[in-house]
Amino acid sequence: MTIPRWFEERLALERFRAKYLGKPFPVHSTFFFGEIALFCFVVLVGTGLYLALFYEPSAAAVAAEGGRLPAAYASTLAIDAHPFGALMRRIHHWAAHLMIASVVLHLLRVYFTASYKRPREANWVLGLGLLGMTIAASFAGYLLPYDQFSVTATAIGYGIARSVPWIGPTLADYVFAGQFPSPETVPRFFAYHVVLAPLALSALIALHLVIVLKQKHTEFGVAARADAAEGKWIRGIPLWPEQTALMGVLFLVIVAVAAALAAFLPVHPSAYFGPPQPATPDVKPDWYLLWVYGALRLIPGTLSVRVLGATIGPEAIGAMLVPGILSLLVVLVPWLDRTPSTLYYAEAPTAGPRRLALGLAVLVLFLALSLAGFGTELGLSVPVLWIVTVVAPVATAVGAAAYARRRAERVGVSRTP
Amino acid sequence: MDRRRFAERSLKTAIVAAIASVIPGVLTLRGRSRSAATKGVEAGDRLVFALGQNAGQAITEGSFTQNEAVLAYPEGKSDNHENLVLVCKLDPAALKPPVDLAGTAHGVVAYSAICTHLGCTVRFSEEPMDQAPFPHIHCPCHGAMFDPQRGGVVLGGPPPRPLPQLPIKLNDKGEVLVAGAFSAPVGVKA
Repeated sequence: MTIPRWFEERLALERFRAKYLGKPFPVHSTFFFGEIALFCFVVLVGTGLYLALFYEPSAAAVAAEGGRLPAAYASTLAIDAHPFGALMRRIHHWAAHLMIASVVLHLLRVYFTASYKRPREANWVLGLGLLGMTIAASFAGYLLPYDQFSVTATAIGYGIARSVPWIGPTLADYVFAGQFPSPETVPRFFAYHVVLAPLALSALIALHLVIVLKQKHTEFGVAARADAAEGKWIRGIPLWPEQTALMGVLFLVIVAVAAALAAFLPVHPSAYFGPPQPATPDVKPDWYLLWVYGALRLIPGTLSVRVLGATIGPEAIGAMLVPGILSLLVVLVPWLDRTPSTLYYAEAPTAGPRRLALGLAVLVLFLALSLAGFGTELGLSVPVLWIVTVVAPVATAVGAAAYARRRAERVGVSRTP
Repeated sequence: MDRRRFAERSLKTAIVAAIASVIPGVLTLRGRSRSAATKGVEAGDRLVFALGQNAGQAITEGSFTQNEAVLAYPEGKSDNHENLVLVCKLDPAALKPPVDLAGTAHGVVAYSAICTHLGCTVRFSEEPMDQAPFPHIHCPCHGAMFDPQRGGVVLGGPPPRPLPQLPIKLNDKGEVLVAGAFSAPVGVKA
C-alpha cells in the first residue's frame, strides 16, 4: 500500500480537498492586503519567538557596558550586538509597520468598495478589532527595549490613561501595574506583548477567516453581469494549488521586503536613544499614532469640561474623546450606510457619493492631524493647523461628492465597476 | 423543582460563582502603590543634580548663572519620577505674582519638572526663540509653554494647569533646600 493511500483510507483527504481546497479566491491585487497582514503576523511571531529567547523582561539594574543598566535595555543591546540578533530585531520592527499598513489598506479597500454591507457587518467590526489589537500590541512592544524613547512613549500612554475622567488613576494603575515607571510594568507589558496580544490576534484572525469562508468575499461588478448571463457562480482561482502557490510566493516576498528594509534601514536603534534618564528627548510616535499626537498638540489647555465632578481636560479630549468618536464612527459605518446591499458584489468607489465623500474626508482628517504633529518643524502655527484640519476634510468631502455625482450621471447610477 | 429547572439554575449559579472567583485575582493587577514604596518631597530635603557628571551632588546658588536651569531630585529620592524638579535661576526683579516669592531666594525658583499635560519632563529654554517670550519653560512632547517668572502659568499649548511651584530656601553654604510642599498636585490629573 502506498503512503498516500494509507492516509487517504484513514483521513478521507479526497473528501476534504473536494469540500474546502476548491474555495475560489478572487484575483485582484487589492484582495492581497489581508493576506499580507497575516503573513506579517507570521513573521512577527517567528522573529518575536527568537527575540524572546534572549530578552530579559525586567527593569532591575544589572552590570553592563561598564555601568549599571536596566536588564531589559542591557539584553536589547546584547541582541543588537550580534548581527543576526540585530537583523531579527529590525525585521520584527519592520514587519510590525508592514502589518499595520496592510491592515489599514485592507480596511480602505473594504470601505471604498462597500464590502462592509449586509451580511458582512460582523467581519467589518472584527476587522477593526484586529486593527485596534495590532496597534495595542505594537504600543506594548514600544516599552520592551526599555530605552529612553520607550520609556517616554509609555509614560505618555500612562498620562493618557490617567487623564480619563472618573476612573483615570485607577485604570492607569491596573494597566501599567502601578505608577509608571514601576518595576512591575516591564513584566506586565512583556506578558501583554508576547502572550496576550498574539493569542487574541490568533483567535480574532481565525474567526475573521472562518466568517470569510462562510460568507465568501464580495466580487467585482463584472461578476454581476456574468451572473446575470450564466447564473450565480463565484469566480476565482481555487485554494489548491493556484492560490496556495500565489500565497507561498507572497509570503516569501514579504520576508524578503522586511529583511531588505531591516538590512538597509535601521529602525529603532536602542543604543542611539540610550538608557532611561530623567530628561525627555524630542520624540514623535510612529506614523500610525501621529494623528493622536497631532490632536494632542492642537487641543488648547483652556479647553476642558467639567461633568459630574470630573474634568475632561485637553489631554483626555485629544487622546480619548477625538480618537474615540472617530473610531466609533468607523465601527458604525455598516449601519450609517442606508443604501441597499447587493449581498454579493463590491461596488465602485464612486457608486456612493456619500460613502466616497465621508471616507476621503476622514482619511484627509487623519492626514491633517498627522501634519499637525509636524507643525513646529514646518513652521506652521497652531491656528493655521486648525484651519487646515477643518477646511481640508470639508473641501475633500464636497469635491469627492461632486465628482462621484458627475460620474454617476455619466455612467448610470446603478453600475458597479 | 423539575430536573430541567434544577440544571438551569445550577448552570447559572456556577457561572456567577466562576466570575466572582476571578475578582480577587483581577484586584491584584493594580500593582503596588507608589506612596508605600517611595518617599515624596519634604521640607528640608537638599536638592541635588539629577543628570550629568555632577549627578547626586548638591546644587548651590553658584551652580548656574542667570537664565539657566537644572533638573534636580531631593537627595536620596530619585526613585520617584514625580519628585523631579526644575531649579531655575532668574532675574529677581522680574519675578511677578502668582509666583510664591517667599518660596524663592536670590532669583532661584523651583517647579515640578513633570508636565501637567501628559507627564513628560519639561525643559528651560536657555536662549530666546521665535514666537516665545524669554525665558520660558517648554515641554518637548506636545508643545506646552510655561512662564517661570510668573509661577509657572501656561503661556500656550495644551497643558490644563500651571506647573506646581516648590518653595525653596538657601542654607549658609548656598545649597538649595526644599522649604515646603508643591503648590498643587504634581503630574497628570483626571
